[in-house]
Amino acid sequence: MATIDLGKHGAHPPGPSSDDRPYHERYHAAHHFVDREHEFDAVKMGVWLFLGTEVLLFSGMFVAYAVFRMMHPEAFLSGSSHLEVKWGLLNTFVLLLSSYTVAAAVRHAQTGNQKWLRINLVFTFFAGLAFLLIKFIFEYWKKYNEGLLPGKFYSYPYSADVPFEPLWWAIYWGATGIHASHVIVGMALFAWLYVRSRKQHFGPGHYNAVEGVGLYWHIVDIVWIFLFPMLYLIH
Amino acid sequence: MTPHAHPHAPAHAEHFDAHGHKDHGHVIVSVATLRTVLLLLLFFTLLTVGAAKAEVFISQTFNVEIPQAINVFVALSIAAVKTVIVVMFFMQLKYDNPLNTMIMVFTFLTVGFFMGFTVLDLGNRGTLDPFKQQYIIPGGTGLKHTDNKTITQWAEDAAKSNGTYDPHHAHHRHDARLSITDMGYVPDGPLHGGSSAQRSRPITVSTGLVPGTAPGAPGAATDEAAHGEGPAH
Repeated sequence: MATIDLGKHGAHPPGPSSDDRPYHERYHAAHHFVDREHEFDAVKMGVWLFLGTEVLLFSGMFVAYAVFRMMHPEAFLSGSSHLEVKWGLLNTFVLLLSSYTVAAAVRHAQTGNQKWLRINLVFTFFAGLAFLLIKFIFEYWKKYNEGLLPGKFYSYPYSADVPFEPLWWAIYWGATGIHASHVIVGMALFAWLYVRSRKQHFGPGHYNAVEGVGLYWHIVDIVWIFLFPMLYLIH
Repeated sequence: MTPHAHPHAPAHAEHFDAHGHKDHGHVIVSVATLRTVLLLLLFFTLLTVGAAKAEVFISQTFNVEIPQAINVFVALSIAAVKTVIVVMFFMQLKYDNPLNTMIMVFTFLTVGFFMGFTVLDLGNRGTLDPFKQQYIIPGGTGLKHTDNKTITQWAEDAAKSNGTYDPHHAHHRHDARLSITDMGYVPDGPLHGGSSAQRSRPITVSTGLVPGTAPGAPGAATDEAAHGEGPAH
């Protein structure tokens, strides 16, 4: 693909019934933007600012983690031993792969490859689903049954010598729970993107939404990249 | 990026860069780059797990205790590298408006401040205790006296044994911990509402929030009333 001619319709709405072109070619930027390029840059900066707030949100959890870990290292050591590294590792691989597919989806939107754009969006959606299933079935459900719950809900009877372990579980459930809710939101966004992509909304001249959701998904992945060693690899 | 004021015939010649081709200013990252980044990420993940296992192995085989800080530092630095390559290549920040990079850099700087000062505080909570225990004795370091008397007590006893002690100069002082109630203020209710945040000394009674501890169980005494004697005892 050499050039995309945003052309004479770059900043002006086309005639309604005479234009058979797909949506992403007909698309015109909102009127306060000079052209689609300008709108794309503005959208991207807006998303990056939002991602900044997301990073700060998770940093609150991470500082809470640091505070409690420094105050009660034995509780973190003991609590972390209940986590199985293999599930955390599998979830990490799933999310890293989904990061790749979402970057590939953006690339296919850029090159106008509708079929592979859809395939990658679907794959990313199911990667998110796989992440949640692994987490809920092999981790959350097991912990719930054993009574390894946060704070005052804790009822596991075999850690009486580690009085502050409920604090560790509060951190674990809080951090992974907030992360999992971000994954759920991401999945909903990918479903929305898929529906739109079937209607040919995305193409080389217009793929703002794919880019934006992709950036969000990468931040979710980055948070997990930090969570995995901090929760599972405490020795 | 400066907005174009003119309609779009391509205003600049198409040129190809090492990562694929430019499309109207949008860099299209090549598949090779994406795949390389993915492989690097998977490799670094395995490295993280390997480093943690190696640490356990080393500490067990050589019978050394590796400080937690090393465990955290190694894991975090590998995670930082992974984050940087995700941000630069998957999120294409490398090819993007540098302002977006600044947004992220300053965000992480903020997190660094947040985390850094907190850890600095917590990590040094006990640092002054050895010094404080030595030197903060009421009346001073007591280098002058024997038999555990405070300097002020020693001075009084010395003056009394010298015969230079003048009872008219003696002040009637309260116990060192004066409060406004000592000075005549009569409050209608508890001054601090039960919260330790407004007191100069913390409440050291168990609040019952930690499982296994009962509310009211003493950590130390609750109040000045229970600590009738002075701090030297």
